[in-house]
Amino acid sequence: MSNNLLAGKRGIIFGALDDQSIAWKIAEKAVEQGAKITLTNAPVALRLGQIQELSKKLNAEIIPADATSIEDLENLFDKSIEILGGKLDFVLHSIGMSVNVRKNKPYTGLNYDWMQKTFDVSAISFHKVMQVAMDKKAINEWGSIVALSYIAAQRTFPDYSEMAESKALLESFARSFGYHWAKENNVRVNTISQSPTITKAGQGIKGFMDFFNYADKMSPLGNASSDACADYCISLFSDLTRMVTMQNLYHDGGFSSMGMNPAILEL
Amino acid sequence: MSSVAEKVKKIIVDKLGVDESEVTPEASFTNDLGADSLDTVELIMEFEKEFDISIPDEEAENIQTVGQAVSYVQKEVEN
Repeated sequence: MSNNLLAGKRGIIFGALDDQSIAWKIAEKAVEQGAKITLTNAPVALRLGQIQELSKKLNAEIIPADATSIEDLENLFDKSIEILGGKLDFVLHSIGMSVNVRKNKPYTGLNYDWMQKTFDVSAISFHKVMQVAMDKKAINEWGSIVALSYIAAQRTFPDYSEMAESKALLESFARSFGYHWAKENNVRVNTISQSPTITKAGQGIKGFMDFFNYADKMSPLGNASSDACADYCISLFSDLTRMVTMQNLYHDGGFSSMGMNPAILEL
Repeated sequence: MSSVAEKVKKIIVDKLGVDESEVTPEASFTNDLGADSLDTVELIMEFEKEFDISIPDEEAENIQTVGQAVSYVQKEVEN
């Protein structure tokens, strides 16, 4: 269903790996709602996933960029503005990676070089994206920047490991940068704290499916799907949410407000 | 050991954070050396960069052990 909520808008979507990716759905819906977009991911992720397929389907160009590299990000914004024919209105940051999680390191025995990499890829990259975009004055007034987060930023989910601190940092960057960008030219910055979602990254977390089922039972509406997350994200890119900024917004079927759900006892 | 084999081995040790003694010709990246799907793509891209070669995806799928990586790279470098 299209309401042309993003008609005439231009944006960049980071992090679409395959058709399970939340970023993939957001890219599809953004175009469906009338936006023109470019797609980006790290070269290794471009090779790992099926982004070429999405690019063809949406007629959206792929611009490879390592989100930890200022040079790559500068090129990404310059090229996107050139290809899309003007300044941008929205950016989605949907990237994260932890070597410690991938290597099954216990939380009390983490490798600190890897931790640095985790923070750099998963959180500091968000600041870099925003700083480069602001420097270049690449975002139109009332533009909207969204990053995807998870409730482990506030509560303890042991198997989420150091990604918890990554998401806390990510959300804090959204608040702090949101202030400066509002003052600069009314650009909004928010994070969506999404239900656990079956994606390539999610499946890398130990015991993911058990946890997915637990969260589904705990949430009175059930887990929010990636499709629903994409719809929510589109609303944040649209002009209908202009006064929403510096927020971490739960999109989780009610999970974050629950203490106890009798449905859990039936598990 | 040829220098190609040494370089390939060093890339594997660095990328996967494994001990040199584990990197035997028969060792499988995923089954023995703990590589995930991202690691294996990173390894392939590292070989391409180090040896200035191009490894098509369909060839990359057949490179699953240390020995297969060494012989593929050796063949490409000699061409």
